[in-house]
Amino acid sequence: MPLTKKRIGIVCPYGWDTPGGVKSHIGDLAEYLIAQGHTVSVLAPSASDENLPSYVTSAGRPISIAYNGAVARLLFGPVAFSRVKSWIADGDFDVLHLHEPAIPSISLLACWAAEGPMVGTFHAASARKKIAFAITPFVEPVVEKLNARIAVSEAARETLQIHLDTDAMVVPNGIYAGRYADATIDPRWSGNTIGFIGRFEEYRKGLSVLIEALPQILSRIPDIRILIAGPGDPESFLEKLEPHLRNRFTFLGTISESDKANFMASVGIYVAPNTGGESFGIILAEALAAGAAVLASDIPAFDSLLGGGEYGTLFESENAHDLADKAIALLEDPVHRSAIAKKGHDYAQSFDWDVVAERIYDVYEMAMVGGKGVTLASDNRAWNRLLGRSNE
Amino acid sequence: MNNFLLSFFFLSIFAWYLSFLATRLNRLHHRVETSWANLDGLLQRRAAVAIEIARSEISDPAASLLLTFAAHQAREATVRDRSQAETGLTGALGILIENSADTQNPLEQELLLELKDLTAKIKVAIAMHVESVTRTQMVRKKLFIRVFRLAGSAPEPVTYEFEGDVF
Repeated sequence: MPLTKKRIGIVCPYGWDTPGGVKSHIGDLAEYLIAQGHTVSVLAPSASDENLPSYVTSAGRPISIAYNGAVARLLFGPVAFSRVKSWIADGDFDVLHLHEPAIPSISLLACWAAEGPMVGTFHAASARKKIAFAITPFVEPVVEKLNARIAVSEAARETLQIHLDTDAMVVPNGIYAGRYADATIDPRWSGNTIGFIGRFEEYRKGLSVLIEALPQILSRIPDIRILIAGPGDPESFLEKLEPHLRNRFTFLGTISESDKANFMASVGIYVAPNTGGESFGIILAEALAAGAAVLASDIPAFDSLLGGGEYGTLFESENAHDLADKAIALLEDPVHRSAIAKKGHDYAQSFDWDVVAERIYDVYEMAMVGGKGVTLASDNRAWNRLLGRSNE
Repeated sequence: MNNFLLSFFFLSIFAWYLSFLATRLNRLHHRVETSWANLDGLLQRRAAVAIEIARSEISDPAASLLLTFAAHQAREATVRDRSQAETGLTGALGILIENSADTQNPLEQELLLELKDLTAKIKVAIAMHVESVTRTQMVRKKLFIRVFRLAGSAPEPVTYEFEGDVF
C-alpha cells in the first residue's frame, strides 16, 4: 500500500439489510480499506438508516424484484438518481468502485452520472441471464465509462465476454483466511457427517437434492448424519420427511463465525448442492480455508471456484444419484479426502483479503492515473456550463 | 406548423444523440491516451530496473549484456515495435529470475521484489490499455461516427499486442 490515502466510493446495488455475497464482499472490502487508512463511503439501498455501519450511506428503500432465481432487493428511479448524484458530488472521491453495473440498479445510475476514474466489478455468472443483459444496447455506452473491469470468477468473465463483449481481469472475492486457519475439530460434528450451511428453505440452496440422495448414501454408510446450520424452521421441514430419515438430521440454527469455522473443519464432507443463482460461492472458499473436503454442484460459479474439480469434488447439478455416488466415494476413502482437502486449503490462501484487497487496490491505482477525481458528468456538459448550472 | 415542430423535435433529438456519441468517443480517446501513458511509464520503470539488475551481481556478464541490450531496445522502440521489444525484455528477465531465485543479498532481493510488483502492475495496465483500444476501434466503426466524422483528426489507436503468457 502506498502512503497516499485515497477517497474511495463504493456502490452496492443490493439492499444492505439483506444478507448476501455481494453485500458482505463490499462490507469486508470497505473495512479492509478503512483499516489501511483510506476514506471509504459505501452507497447502498437500505430500508432504514438504523444499524447501518458508519461508512454506509442509504440511497433509499429497495424494491423487491424476482431476479437471478431469488428475490433481489434493488433500487432505481428518479429519487434514487438524485441521491446518487448528491452522494457523488459530496463525496469528492478519487475513484468509484461500482458493483454489478450492468443490472438496473444504483450502480448503473452512478456509472451514468459520474465522470472520472471508475472500476466495475461483475459478480453474475450464468448462461441463462439473457434477460438481464437484454438491456445491453443501453448499458454498453455506460459500462464503457469504466476504466477497469473486474470479474470475480472465470465464469463471470465469460458471461461478460458473451453479453457485453468486453474483457475483464479476474480478482476473486475475499475471505479472512486467518479466521479459518485455527479452526478446531469438534467431536460433536466429526465422523461420518455431511455439513450444510445456508437458508435451507430456499429451493436454490439445493437441500432437496441432498435429501433425495440420502437413502442411497444411507444404504452404504448407515451411520451417516446430516448437520444443517442456517436460519429456517426445521419442524415444517422434518414433517415432509419419511420417519426413518428424520433422525439422521440435526439442525443447529444460525451459528457464530467461529463456530462456522469449527463446523467446516469438523464435518466429514461439506456439501453445497446449490441449483443456481450463485455468483461466486464464497462459502466454498471459506470451507476450503477451514480444511473441509468439499462436494459441490457443478454450477458455473462452483466449477470455476473449485478449479474444475481440482480443489473439491463436483457432482452434476440437481442429480441426486451423482451426489450420492460422489459422497459415498469421498466418505469411504479418507486418504483421498484429506489429500484433496489439503490441496483446497492451500489454494484457499489466495482468497485471503490481504491478497485480494491489494489486487483490487492495484486496479484502483491504475484507474486513477491521470484522473483528477470523480465529478458529475452533468457538470462537464457544455450547456450546463453556459447556463452556470454547475455544482462547483 | 405541426410538421415543423415535429421535425424540429426529431432534429434536436438527433443532435443530442450525435453530441452524446461524440462525448463517448472523446472519452474513449482520452482513455487510450492515459492508459498508454500509464503503461508506458510502467514499462520505462521496468527497463530501468532491468538495467539496474544487469549491473548488480545477480547476473553474469552474458546475462548482463543480454539484459542491457533488451532494455535499451525496449526503451528506444517506436509504439508499433514496442510490444515485441518488451516481450524480448520479459524473456530476458524471465531467464535471469529463474536462475537467481535464491539470492541472499538484500539489495538484489529488493530489486527482484520491485520487479515482481511492477510485473503485476504491468499486467493490469496492459489489460486496461488493450480494452480501451479495442473499445475505441469498435466505436469508431459505428455508422454515424464515420458519416459525421465524429472522430475528427484523432489518430486511430494502435493495438498493443502483448503476449500475456510470457509473464
